[in-house]
Amino acid sequence: MSGAPNIGSGASADTDAARGVSAGMASPGAASGAADSRGGANRSDRLWMYATMVKSRHFEALIKPAYFEGKSPVFNMAKGPIPGEMHLSDGQEPCAVGVCAHLRARDTVTATHRPHHVAIAKGVDLNAMAAEIFGKASGLSGGRGGHMHLFDARVNFACSGIIAQGLGPAVGAALAAKLRGEDHVAVAFLGEGAANQGAFHEALNLASVWKVPAVFVIEDNSYGISVAKRDCTAVERNSDRAAAYAMPGHFVPGNDADAVHAAAGAAIARARRGEGPSLIEIETCRLEGHFMGDAEGYRPEGEVERLKAADPIPAYRARLLDAGFEAAELDKAEAEARAAVDAAFAAARAAAYPDPEEAFAHVFA
Amino acid sequence: MTEVTVPTGLWDTGDEAAISAWLYADGDAVAAGAVIAEIMVEKSSFELVAPASGTLAILVAAEIPVVQGQTVARIA
Amino acid sequence: MSSPENIPSETSAAESIASAGAGTPAATARPARRLTIARAIAEAIGQEMGRDSDVLVMGEDIAKLGGVFGTTTGLLDRFGAERVRDTPISETAFIGAAVGLAASGMKPVVELMFVDFFGVCMDAIYNLAAKQSYFSGGNVTCPMVLMTSVGGGYGDAGQHSQTLYATFGHLPGLKVVIPSNAYDAKGLMLAAIRDPNPVIFMYHKALQGMGWLGTVQRSITDAPEGDYVVPLGKAKVAREGGDVTLVGLGLSVHQALDAAERLVGDGASAEVIDLVSIAPLDREAVRASVRKTGRLLVVDDDYLSYGVGAEVIASVCEAGIALRAAPQRIAFPDIPVPFTPVMEHFVLPNADKIVAAARAMMEMTSHD
Repeated sequence: MSGAPNIGSGASADTDAARGVSAGMASPGAASGAADSRGGANRSDRLWMYATMVKSRHFEALIKPAYFEGKSPVFNMAKGPIPGEMHLSDGQEPCAVGVCAHLRARDTVTATHRPHHVAIAKGVDLNAMAAEIFGKASGLSGGRGGHMHLFDARVNFACSGIIAQGLGPAVGAALAAKLRGEDHVAVAFLGEGAANQGAFHEALNLASVWKVPAVFVIEDNSYGISVAKRDCTAVERNSDRAAAYAMPGHFVPGNDADAVHAAAGAAIARARRGEGPSLIEIETCRLEGHFMGDAEGYRPEGEVERLKAADPIPAYRARLLDAGFEAAELDKAEAEARAAVDAAFAAARAAAYPDPEEAFAHVFA
Repeated sequence: MTEVTVPTGLWDTGDEAAISAWLYADGDAVAAGAVIAEIMVEKSSFELVAPASGTLAILVAAEIPVVQGQTVARIA
Repeated sequence: MSSPENIPSETSAAESIASAGAGTPAATARPARRLTIARAIAEAIGQEMGRDSDVLVMGEDIAKLGGVFGTTTGLLDRFGAERVRDTPISETAFIGAAVGLAASGMKPVVELMFVDFFGVCMDAIYNLAAKQSYFSGGNVTCPMVLMTSVGGGYGDAGQHSQTLYATFGHLPGLKVVIPSNAYDAKGLMLAAIRDPNPVIFMYHKALQGMGWLGTVQRSITDAPEGDYVVPLGKAKVAREGGDVTLVGLGLSVHQALDAAERLVGDGASAEVIDLVSIAPLDREAVRASVRKTGRLLVVDDDYLSYGVGAEVIASVCEAGIALRAAPQRIAFPDIPVPFTPVMEHFVLPNADKIVAAARAMMEMTSHD
């Protein structure tokens, strides 16, 4: 099944999805307005996607210098206001926005060790997210989780750092929706490397056996740390693996938000109709290292420059201008997106650290 | 007496470098060819190899920025 | 120009770790060859691969990258892709494959990048590797080494900072070691590869000598270029003393040594035992020390309950050794490792906590 756009999903009235295009609001949700005449994403979705990609990229752009503070002249991971590992999502924004444009707050999303773009697109509280990454008391979990373990119950978003382990929980969340007779869905994001992990195969099989409203989204950025996909994956396309689990597999080339939007729309609509799970494989790219501090010696000469020249965000802006969006409208959306991030970072910097004794709280409910 | 200098040509001159660890102490005997320190440049690690055998005199401590060609120790 | 402040005083301690109880060749015969633990591990594997064509190494990012923690640097260039294999992210498959390779007489060295990932591959470890000899009545052995990074303290949070010594020490059929210095790291790895049993070779991230994880200077020690082994299952006396026995493993050995230095100022002499081996546990080495000192304090950065501290203390108490103070343990509390540094460093063991506990055991009033 190709990524045919799904026009007018016919979803039930959704009281908790915002439909505005302001960068500060939640995603349009599955009941967003009619598709435009080309059969693709409608105008408000496209503007939201653009603004959210800008927001996401700006978030990473502010993380970078903050992360490197204190880690000079010797890069010592323990030092500075953001210690530990940092996995940035530059380049992968189309994957997050194309999918989350269709999601409501009540839909579940599980993400990976590289979560920021997905969290932002899902509508995770930006201030609490930034505070969590800075380890502050006002963070999503009061500093206990950090960048790889962001949970926001308001929008049913969770992420964690063990490869492919977000898939099982997505199957469970999807099953819960089905048992309750709701038309919510669960989406699990994963990398292409995770498609070689046992949990991937078990989760896809189980999702089909139970016929749950789950969507599995592979962000193929070509590398699992230093290992290229072709050196560790038996198949050319992971979307072909969907057939082994009796579900549709969509292959989405070109790191294109509109194409992701179309494929995700079809998969999510199918799930909401009770027809079962789908697998989506998106060709994307990782513009930074696997983690901040990765020397990337394993990347061929010139590869990063080539990828940066094909940065999906300026490309999408150009497409929107071609499609008749006004530059001023885009500029305004961009400015609002950046301002929201700037405010979140300022608040996170200023926020207090938790009392160390708080380490012992919430081990048990 | 031989100078131990930061290798040249292995990284962009603009990148900040520092010795992340001296593997030997000031006054230790070192053998030619031994790796005597590790230099970190941005995100990469390079070896500093003893050009001669003898007694090491460390001139620049770890975590102090250094530049290519700089003398960081002597071996006598 | 004055010499770097942190080097001279730690040199003698490093040499004392390297030489104590190990029968090393005298360091005066040749200039010292100082290695980080990461280099020592890579050197050992490379040496054994050169000597024995049945040895191969595999894991995530161990070929082209030389291992995220530097354990296989240079091996791909020397031995090629058939013997140095980057694997897919498929731990249960490649560790299971290692069990099969071992059953077929080869000697795989496999890396599990973070010990925290054991959840996805534990069956191959504790139900297959650990029981292969037993189920076969000794006819089929499992000469594999599973090397894995452990430890936190640098903000990597709950799924990338654990040590899990007790988890692995608890299960029959596995040998488990953790070096505190480069000399032991090389010798233990050579012994582990040659051992016909599955050996879990843990290396503490804080001790690897990777610049980006900080450096514990004392772990950088002399390691001879040639062949030698450090026997599995034997603890070492890292520092002799008579007033209190401090038991540590990996990073906590260094914290105990730091504490012992400070206790000298109180007029107390602490004996520091480096366990080296979690399984088999050298109980007799600890008992011998506590017979001398009468006081036992175990320091371990694994979770407290059901841990190394509990096992060591039980081993001493059940031997009926006369004690001058109740035995104590310092460990990581029973909570997930928190991300934010104010919490993480508050709960981690450190030299301050060791000094305070030791003083209390020796009934000293606290100074400063």
